[in-house]
Amino acid sequence: MKYLPLVWSGLWRKPGRTILIFLQVSVAFALFGVLQGLKTGVAHAVAAARADLLIVHSRLSSIAQPLPYGLLEQIRSVPGVQVAIPVELAGGTWQKPDQGIGIVAVSPEGDWTRAFTYTIPPEYLAAFGKSRTAMLVRDLAAQKYGWKVGDHIPLNLAVAQQNGSNDWAFDVVGIFTDSDVGGGRYIVLVSYPYFDEARALKKGTVNHFNIAVSDPKLGNQVADAIDARFANSSHETKTESLREMAQASMQAIGDFDFLIRAVVGAVLVALLFATTTMMVQSVHERTPELAVVKTLGFTDRAVFLLILAEAMLLFVAGAACGLALATLVLPFAARFVLGLSMPGIVVLLGIALGILVAFISAALPAALAARLPVATALAGHRAA
Amino acid sequence: MNFMRQFLALLRMSLSGILRRPGSALTIIIGVTCAVGVLVSMLAMGSGARRQVLAGVREDHVVVNSHGARGIQSSIPRDEADTVRDLPGIKKGKDGKPLVEFQSVVPIEARRRVTDRRVFFPLVGITGAPTDNDPDLHLTEGRVYRPGLDELIASHPCVRQFTGFEIGDKRSIGGVDWTIVGHFSQGDSQLCVVLADAETLMAVFHNNAYTQATATVQSAADYSVLQHALESNPTLHLEVRHERETREEGIRQLNALLNFAAYFVGSIMAIGATLGAVNSLYSIVDSRRREIATLRAIGFGSAPVGAAILCESIVLALPGALLGVLLAWALFQRMSVSPFGFSFLLDVTPRLAVIGVLWALAMGLFGGLLPAWRATRVPVTTALRAT
Repeated sequence: MKYLPLVWSGLWRKPGRTILIFLQVSVAFALFGVLQGLKTGVAHAVAAARADLLIVHSRLSSIAQPLPYGLLEQIRSVPGVQVAIPVELAGGTWQKPDQGIGIVAVSPEGDWTRAFTYTIPPEYLAAFGKSRTAMLVRDLAAQKYGWKVGDHIPLNLAVAQQNGSNDWAFDVVGIFTDSDVGGGRYIVLVSYPYFDEARALKKGTVNHFNIAVSDPKLGNQVADAIDARFANSSHETKTESLREMAQASMQAIGDFDFLIRAVVGAVLVALLFATTTMMVQSVHERTPELAVVKTLGFTDRAVFLLILAEAMLLFVAGAACGLALATLVLPFAARFVLGLSMPGIVVLLGIALGILVAFISAALPAALAARLPVATALAGHRAA
Repeated sequence: MNFMRQFLALLRMSLSGILRRPGSALTIIIGVTCAVGVLVSMLAMGSGARRQVLAGVREDHVVVNSHGARGIQSSIPRDEADTVRDLPGIKKGKDGKPLVEFQSVVPIEARRRVTDRRVFFPLVGITGAPTDNDPDLHLTEGRVYRPGLDELIASHPCVRQFTGFEIGDKRSIGGVDWTIVGHFSQGDSQLCVVLADAETLMAVFHNNAYTQATATVQSAADYSVLQHALESNPTLHLEVRHERETREEGIRQLNALLNFAAYFVGSIMAIGATLGAVNSLYSIVDSRRREIATLRAIGFGSAPVGAAILCESIVLALPGALLGVLLAWALFQRMSVSPFGFSFLLDVTPRLAVIGVLWALAMGLFGGLLPAWRATRVPVTTALRAT
């Protein structure tokens, strides 16, 4: 500890150079933090997805094949099913073809919100149940299109009404938020009974059923029981939890592992080279000073440690600064991947990596300094 | 004129000195190489995805789908389809029939060969023979499906990436066992496409509407005629767009995401490389203080001294740029990647190489500014006296 002032003055011998190295280390570790945080954050988001909410869709094709509404009573009778709500999906646009909006039609009956990941304030919830053309808007969609409670919104849907028109209109009665990582961003909730009655085709069908199970541990068991009930019928089902679905949709990120590793590798190679050169240069310039230090009785080992400590201090400070920066930046990346945060493990990993890089890049210059022959160095010859 | 002569003399001097300072020069070159290499390889994903989606687009092809709908949400009921066949503007084939292909698209699941992961791909039921509408499509093995039988043909990427697409394999789709009877290739697309007869597929799925239609038009004038005919017919709820436009729209979001990621990572790495360059150039300037002071004393101006340092920085960045582009090309050109469950080949285009070089020039320029300024400020008398 008593050598700390020595290390400190060594660092500030050339402030410009030290600050530039510090910035370079910060930038490299900010990038490391964002990339690694993205990867680890996605894994965390999947783990946080609800395992107690199940989705029942058609075994034929989970996207395109409808299920009859009539399955609802049979699903509700399966032990462990607490709430089951039919859900129909449709796509639409608002004003312009590139302003897409997802329509989620649900039956607002009983305790229906339990089967969803949505958070809806009670007054909005009450208003939604009262009117047939009521619409709840996800916060992100409300922000994007500037919709407010009380607005009457005309939408162009891919679903025709009975009079053949694709123009629909709904009244905004509230705003809601969604905690699910895989949920649509720009979505609205409308009433299924009204939607189904008003549309021309596919009446009496739904895209899937949302189910809340009474005990999260029973999730898999209930899913299997539902699928078993409809096995060999004309409407075979496939039931999955939100967590399983999140796993499937986030797999794509797994393909980025290679890319992330390659980028981090390139960053570290460039950083190592730059800092090693700088440290060697620094030791060269300080040859006379180091010789004096040795003359005063510092051993080769102590000089080695002195140079190493300088690098450690600089790198750990730089890495910490960079990771702090990454923590600030990561919420912006959450625009693309919902539910991201900087996991503590990434910070630990980053600091450990900082120490490793410091050791590798300081080893050569520190060894040069340690092996400095005192007499020739004092005489003005530089370290080889 | 005097400025140019001094500048060139100084530049020649500093460049001949590079070999005496290999560490500093290499720091700049390696930093720039890494930054440019990463930027170009990441941009190659966006350009590869775009190239794949736009492969085989024909300028005389137009796509008809229901108003405002995208992808599988579109639907064209049979009665509307009959009207579409007779619309003016659509080119007639040799047999006098209009060149229109209706498609019924059903997304189905498959398992990755290597990872056993689930992916979705389109099963496309088409009217007419598979080669009618797509001249790039070549049957390489087996035969074409027979209408009325539950038979499929699959493209090569399906066989390569997924299980269950060998000839003779059966797949259960819509509660019916379908047999794979043929394989086809489609240019160098990495997209898994499975084709079947539209009527057979729609019968299995109890579907009474096609998803979309592709038609051939003779000229731009015919396109307007067709568009007008579609819009003025009150019984139709359809819209027509050029095939290129629909494909571009489909890839826009993915492209924006990939390009954002590329420029985000590329910029951060460029900042790192620039900082490294500044540091190296500072030490180059410092080690040449006496030399610079001597030159100033014998009459060289400060402007040519600064310009020569700036130019040296840019000259050092250039080999880094070329190396970076070369590395990206050698390592990743035509490598197959599949982020988001959608496979395509990376494509390092000349345009990306130019972007990489410009990027490197910017790094060299910004990295050289401060050291160049310092070089112009070397105090002649004190620097000459220093040991």
